[in-house]
Amino acid sequence: MSILHNSLTRRRSLALAAGALAVALGATACGGGDPSTPALPGKPAGGGDLIQAILDAAPVATDAEIPAGSTMEAIRKRGQLIIGGSLDAPLLAQQNPVTGQVEGFDADLAKLLAKYITGKPEVKTVTIGTQTREAMLQAKSVDAVFQTYTITPQRATQVAFAGPYLTSGLAVAVRKDDTSIKSAKDLNGKTVIVGANTPAVTALPEVAPDAKQVAFATDPQAIQALLQNRGDAYVQDFTLLASGAKANPGMKVVGEPFTSEPYGIGINREDAQFKEFVNNWLKKIQADGTWAKVWKATLGSVVEGDAPTPPVIGSVEGS
Amino acid sequence: MDALTAHLSVLGHGLVTTVQLTVVTTIGAMLLGIVVATLRISPVPLLRTIGTLYVEVLQNLPLLALLVLFVFALPQIGIQFPLFTSAAIVIAAYQGAYLAEAIRAGINTVGKGQAEAARAIGLTFSQSLRYVILPQGLRAVIQPIGNICIALLMNTSLAAAVGVVELTQAANNVNLVEAQPILIFTGAGLAYMLLALIIGQFTGLLERRLAIVR
Repeated sequence: MSILHNSLTRRRSLALAAGALAVALGATACGGGDPSTPALPGKPAGGGDLIQAILDAAPVATDAEIPAGSTMEAIRKRGQLIIGGSLDAPLLAQQNPVTGQVEGFDADLAKLLAKYITGKPEVKTVTIGTQTREAMLQAKSVDAVFQTYTITPQRATQVAFAGPYLTSGLAVAVRKDDTSIKSAKDLNGKTVIVGANTPAVTALPEVAPDAKQVAFATDPQAIQALLQNRGDAYVQDFTLLASGAKANPGMKVVGEPFTSEPYGIGINREDAQFKEFVNNWLKKIQADGTWAKVWKATLGSVVEGDAPTPPVIGSVEGS
Repeated sequence: MDALTAHLSVLGHGLVTTVQLTVVTTIGAMLLGIVVATLRISPVPLLRTIGTLYVEVLQNLPLLALLVLFVFALPQIGIQFPLFTSAAIVIAAYQGAYLAEAIRAGINTVGKGQAEAARAIGLTFSQSLRYVILPQGLRAVIQPIGNICIALLMNTSLAAAVGVVELTQAANNVNLVEAQPILIFTGAGLAYMLLALIIGQFTGLLERRLAIVR
């Protein structure tokens, strides 16, 4: 084909490719949004020390509570707790790129449980998608799941839930200049952004059957989509919205949460002993005020007011 | 099985969207692939450079990164498409680069004498491509093109990340209610497998029909 084709030398085409990649990466950097946005929204300076103090004072289980052959004994022998969770959920479980520590309410509770069992807050987080939690627990790939895991009767047929350890709810956020949406009922006929695989996907049709739903994979993407007019509103967990609105002046949260989501700690369904152990631990840290301190240091940094009353263990169908 | 049968309409919708996205994207990628392959063999150095740049840039960036950039970065400079359209454009552009390379390989199988003869009887460059080179070149690479189409089908699942409710996203949504990932994703996987088998059978058929007997 030499009449038609005069091939470039290998070196030249490599140089071209490198140049093109540099251009493309430059474009990526430009699209990166507001540089003043903090990497970890709502995280007060020194939050790590606060958590360290809480962890140092946290209780450790007595030997009597950890019988031979139990899951707890296996964890104690291993020296670390293996949990399924996220590393990208602000205020709940987000890995700090500087220290490598996972910070947030879910992550800190997991550290407290690890300390309670092994004596030191050693947690190995296996990042799992929301679609694989049941399978991971059934296969015993993780000891427990700490991932804003809403307790539902359907899920309770697959896994066991300790808790609820936190009650939250879905709320509505809109762009700052929007006055047409005041509560979840106003969402009928609107295009509504939700987080993919979040409870909002199923909760939205119940309050606003005529809303058109668009799902995005991550919270920052969903916020970006709202600000770019891809939808009229964004329905997400109240605390996440509060922290999002703090970092993005272009959006605001309207009305009160319109659902009640009880979050549980996912555990293998057969392991009733471990579930009871975790429930007893939850009762203990609720009673001694540790729970409220962790809430204050994480979620409390974007929500005004005191820590709420922790939910009653076993109070929800499926827990 | 109830977890699957109770949500057939949701999953069906997702399947239809996946098929639509695959068909639209395959057509777009095929056209782009032919154009880019032609650029890469054209006698004009500038066009060859453009073709090479296109292939190298799009082949060497992850599809998910391209999708997220297209959907979230372009609106910053005032360009915004609906989500389905965005996904179709990006996947077509990405797979077009792979198809261009497959088609170029096909063109290179056509004997040099064919192109020389075409020019000698007075055909222009584009005429020689249309009547002599592409018809023979494309036949030689039907199977690789089929493979790229199957890869394209699988890649449509990434559109879920930018808000298109195709089969994977539909399966995610059903799983959110039913909490039975193994059953639901096995079902979705079988649907993908069926679609891939159809593409495979079709390319096999085409190849038998159109093969050049040398």
